[in-house]
Amino acid sequence: MNTRIIAKLDVKPPFVVKPVHFEGLRRMGSPSELARKYYNQGADEVFYIDIVSSLYQRKFLSDGIKETANVLFIPFAVGGGVKSIDDFSKLFHIGADKVVINTYAVQQDPSIINKAAEVFGNQAVVVNIEAKKWQRNWECYTDCGRIQSGKDVLEWVQEVEQRGAGEILLQSVDTDGRRRGFDIELAAQVVDSVGIPVVVSSGAGSLKDIKEIIEIASPSGVAVASLLHYDRVTIQDIKEYLRNNEIKVSQ
Amino acid sequence: MNSIIGIVNYGIAGNIHSVKKAIEKAGGNTLVVNSPSDFDLVDKVVIPGVGSFKNAMQELENNGLIASLNEFDKPILGICLGMQILSKLGFEFGKTRGLGLLDAEVKPIICDAKIPHMGFNKIQVVNPNKLMKGLQDKEFYFMHSYEVVNYTDIVALTKYGNHSFVSAIHKGNLYGVQFHPEKSRKAGIKLLSNFIEMKAN
Repeated sequence: MNTRIIAKLDVKPPFVVKPVHFEGLRRMGSPSELARKYYNQGADEVFYIDIVSSLYQRKFLSDGIKETANVLFIPFAVGGGVKSIDDFSKLFHIGADKVVINTYAVQQDPSIINKAAEVFGNQAVVVNIEAKKWQRNWECYTDCGRIQSGKDVLEWVQEVEQRGAGEILLQSVDTDGRRRGFDIELAAQVVDSVGIPVVVSSGAGSLKDIKEIIEIASPSGVAVASLLHYDRVTIQDIKEYLRNNEIKVSQ
Repeated sequence: MNSIIGIVNYGIAGNIHSVKKAIEKAGGNTLVVNSPSDFDLVDKVVIPGVGSFKNAMQELENNGLIASLNEFDKPILGICLGMQILSKLGFEFGKTRGLGLLDAEVKPIICDAKIPHMGFNKIQVVNPNKLMKGLQDKEFYFMHSYEVVNYTDIVALTKYGNHSFVSAIHKGNLYGVQFHPEKSRKAGIKLLSNFIEMKAN
């Protein structure tokens, strides 16, 4: 199976921003412009995460999402501030193919995962994990790596799978935005713990980092942000490099 | 005159937006089909697919669209769940009766790889038809946990892990694809343009 190469846009409307450890924001461009660029480079998917809506306790903003959906003919996953089945429905109607949820499911009501899977099918429900190392385990964080939940990552990913989630977006609060490599041990353990696809994010600093995480942890996809935003590499570069290293990726 | 492609709207789950945009990109005119009378205005129909089998059938019934779909004798293209509900029975969230237009059942994918099957994957066309023209061995985007089990109307197969499943079907005016052409870059647009160019009886 091809490993999916995904472009991740962390959005503080109306801009894509670059958080480091989920903080210290820098503007990188408009979501639709960057999405178009990565689509043309051959991205397999685009993830759009409104990183402030849960924190600011406001609804996601539809305009930027709609505009971004319009330039894409590949799957588009959207998250940030999703709190109800109605929110899921709204996002699908403005062009999302999958909806990403974290804060509400972790802090308020995990049964929203069951309900969403029943209405929209489990393939459309992605659970975002913001993991932070704690002693020998990892703890789930929410609100963009700011708020602790007391939930153990490995237990939580199994619970969300049982509840009907179709995919995990795995982010690491420790390695996010630093471009110094992934938390490989975290990724390997999460991939082994569940039967659903895991997309690994947070930490790609070089082509070698991407190759390594695929070889060691076998995630279904790798989501890349800074490396692309700073034009250090293109999606083509990543795919070509992986192909040369005998890792399967799509055309 | 250019034909009009109806997109069946089945309530809160449908991704009408993406499908509409892709058909227009492929050069087609679209009309969203909300009620039985809308079927008279269109030359072909696309049934999009986001949602669960059970929920989709419920929504079609609530909107009174089941009889119209059964009677529609022009080309129908079911995408993903839209293809699955052409079958007799589905087993997602309990046993649900489908439209029954296809001698098939929809069952969970059982294989050694991660489920849902998500990502670009190749199709192998085993019975070429107009819809698949120029698309042998192309990659399309898949996003599903269930597969159509059918033995008589297979157009294409796809391999995932150690498992082969039906990725496209054709029977009379019915066409179905398990993947999402609207999410499959140029190959997907090409498939939709093949559908647009097909004669509407």
